[in-house]
Amino acid sequence: MKRMYKVVIPGDFISEDVNRAGEGTYIEEGKVYAMRYGVVDEKDEIKVVPFVGKYQPAKGDVVIGRITEISFPYWIVDIASPYEARLHMSEVTSGGKKRVEFGSMHTYLDIDDLIVAKVTNTDAMMRIDLGLMEDFQLGGDGRLITIPYTKVPRIIGRKGSMIRMLKEKCNCFIFVAKNGRIWIRGKEEDMSLASEVILMIANEAHTSGLTDRVADFLDSYRSKMVKIGNKGLKR
Amino acid sequence: MGLEIMDDVRRDYIYNLVRRGKREDGRGFQDYREIKVEKGIIKKAEGSARVKIGNTEVLVGVKLEPGEPFPDSPDKGVIITNAELVPLASPEFEPGPPNEDSVQLARVVDRGIRGSEAIDLSKLCIEEGEKVWIVFIDIHVLDNDGNLVDAAALGAIASLLNLRMPAERYGLSGEGEEMIPLQDKPVAVTMVDIGGEILVDPNYNEEKAAVSGLTVISNTDGTISGMQKYGREGLKEEKVSEMVEIGIEKADELRQRFL
Amino acid sequence: MKEEGIELIKDGKRLDGRGFDELRPIKIEVGVLKRADGSCYFELGDNKVIAAVYGPREMHPRHAQDAKMAVLKYRYNMAPFSVDERKRPGPDRRSVEISKVSREALEPVIIKEFYPKTEIDVYVEILQSDAGTRTAGINAASIALADAGIPMKDLVSSVAVGKIDGEVVLDLNAVEDNYGEADMPIAMIARRNTITALQMDGRMTKDEFEKGLKLAMNACQQIYELQRTALIERYSEM
Repeated sequence: MKRMYKVVIPGDFISEDVNRAGEGTYIEEGKVYAMRYGVVDEKDEIKVVPFVGKYQPAKGDVVIGRITEISFPYWIVDIASPYEARLHMSEVTSGGKKRVEFGSMHTYLDIDDLIVAKVTNTDAMMRIDLGLMEDFQLGGDGRLITIPYTKVPRIIGRKGSMIRMLKEKCNCFIFVAKNGRIWIRGKEEDMSLASEVILMIANEAHTSGLTDRVADFLDSYRSKMVKIGNKGLKR
Repeated sequence: MGLEIMDDVRRDYIYNLVRRGKREDGRGFQDYREIKVEKGIIKKAEGSARVKIGNTEVLVGVKLEPGEPFPDSPDKGVIITNAELVPLASPEFEPGPPNEDSVQLARVVDRGIRGSEAIDLSKLCIEEGEKVWIVFIDIHVLDNDGNLVDAAALGAIASLLNLRMPAERYGLSGEGEEMIPLQDKPVAVTMVDIGGEILVDPNYNEEKAAVSGLTVISNTDGTISGMQKYGREGLKEEKVSEMVEIGIEKADELRQRFL
Repeated sequence: MKEEGIELIKDGKRLDGRGFDELRPIKIEVGVLKRADGSCYFELGDNKVIAAVYGPREMHPRHAQDAKMAVLKYRYNMAPFSVDERKRPGPDRRSVEISKVSREALEPVIIKEFYPKTEIDVYVEILQSDAGTRTAGINAASIALADAGIPMKDLVSSVAVGKIDGEVVLDLNAVEDNYGEADMPIAMIARRNTITALQMDGRMTKDEFEKGLKLAMNACQQIYELQRTALIERYSEM
């Protein structure tokens, strides 16, 4: 049975407990109201988790970015946010031991390359600085899918329960970044399964009992595949 | 950037003045600045007027031309109102096609004239279905120190007060020039809300400091023939009603003094 | 616009059978477009409009950015086939004014400080027109903005009142608009009794205006409920 978390729209009254008002809410005249269209999460703070939204970078977030421009000494990176981020060239030379020559930045990272980076700084002018994570390069055979950043917690699950199950049952490497970008690597059919399940979770993120439903889906899929046998996977 | 910071300072300054019951130029909240209306100053136009409200200056010229009526009103003349916010009137005005402010200004003034039926359009028929007088009301803003609407609307009616049909120039019915009497004299009154207070005739700084405003256009018999709300904030219903009442009252004053 | 000659009220009812304070039927669908960040299809009687929201997204040109908040843009546009006599494509003066007034109708509820230096684009296309398109557009845009996850204080609801055959009535259709004596579109934040757009065209006494305002406020409450229901139900059926 699918139960719903409480859906709210902007302006809906949520509570009078203004001390617990958190993200996605606003306070007016001693009352907490919803600021976004989403579901209410009252576990600790009173939050409204929006169904969709643009990722707003915060210091410490690990994101998957795509290089869009080379503008010495920075790479300009698209991080699925209304704001561009920048990566300083010293990031590729581990503390500036080597100097990156002007005109050679593309030999390190080129336009359209995908990277795993950490948001090292944001300021009031909305400048966003990135630092490269170890193993920052994403490429080769793998798949990038994008979901609204608001659904990322559901993909991870409580204490990582959901993502663990996905990795195991899909038999894939799955990396979920804070900005809603997800990198999957595995066999073609496994990646397709993982993509499908992730999109399913994203679409049903506001319902409860999701973990069980996903587990059932994955199990029944596997058993169906076993039945098809050596004919290869047809989806 | 520099301009923006100055704007904030000015905004706060105006707001604080209002909280203390004052305005920059010492006026009462419901007082207009000094108004001057000069009629018939452009000889080439069939009607014209120059209006100054404080430092705001608007020149309105009315030109008549024979033209085709609209298909659904073959025996009625046509009114076309246009406003030019020419660059010399303000550092913020740029050359180019009409922007949304200029379009809004023209349409609001036009609405007031149309709604009041100030001009009897059937008197502008030359040949039913073929030829009618097109009344071009052109608003030329010369100096923007706030409240262009009231100045433009006043100028439009003042221009129309002595409107003559240039029959001779177009070789039509040789009775010389005939006057077109106005059936009503709509007057626009614009008010803004600053810190909960209603201020009539905002100057440039007050316009910028206010977050919303309302123009009420009313007629000799107190009926309303046009309204337009502006601004980035809302207005409470009671405020709107109050503004409508003030608007009708002030319109009467202006009408008596200048029209 | 104001033509003479037909009876708009017969036996206390309007030509389409409605009472003086009745809205035309409304139909709402949320999230109808794939590419847009938020969208809404809205029908009000024979009006068919679609609103889409893109953003917040980076604002260009850079010099037009506001360092402290997002910039809201609104474009009202009529499809050439939406009216009896084909309308030439492209903005005309009426669309320009309606776009401005509609944008100002929505600005009070948008929490723009959240996304400085960005723009939020609202596009409203009128697919079929039967008077009241700007009000339908604002209603649809409100929903589309929420659907896009834009931070807002509340929804905005909109309706027009008018005067026909001397009576103040709600939600004029095209015939009533053409032959009536006054037309007053209004937008409000229904829950707060706050008016965010108000225009009047035609001629009304002060009392008629007050009556019309009250009618509009009640109707906006009704419309708000429909907007809310549409948004809530979108995520309730799975």
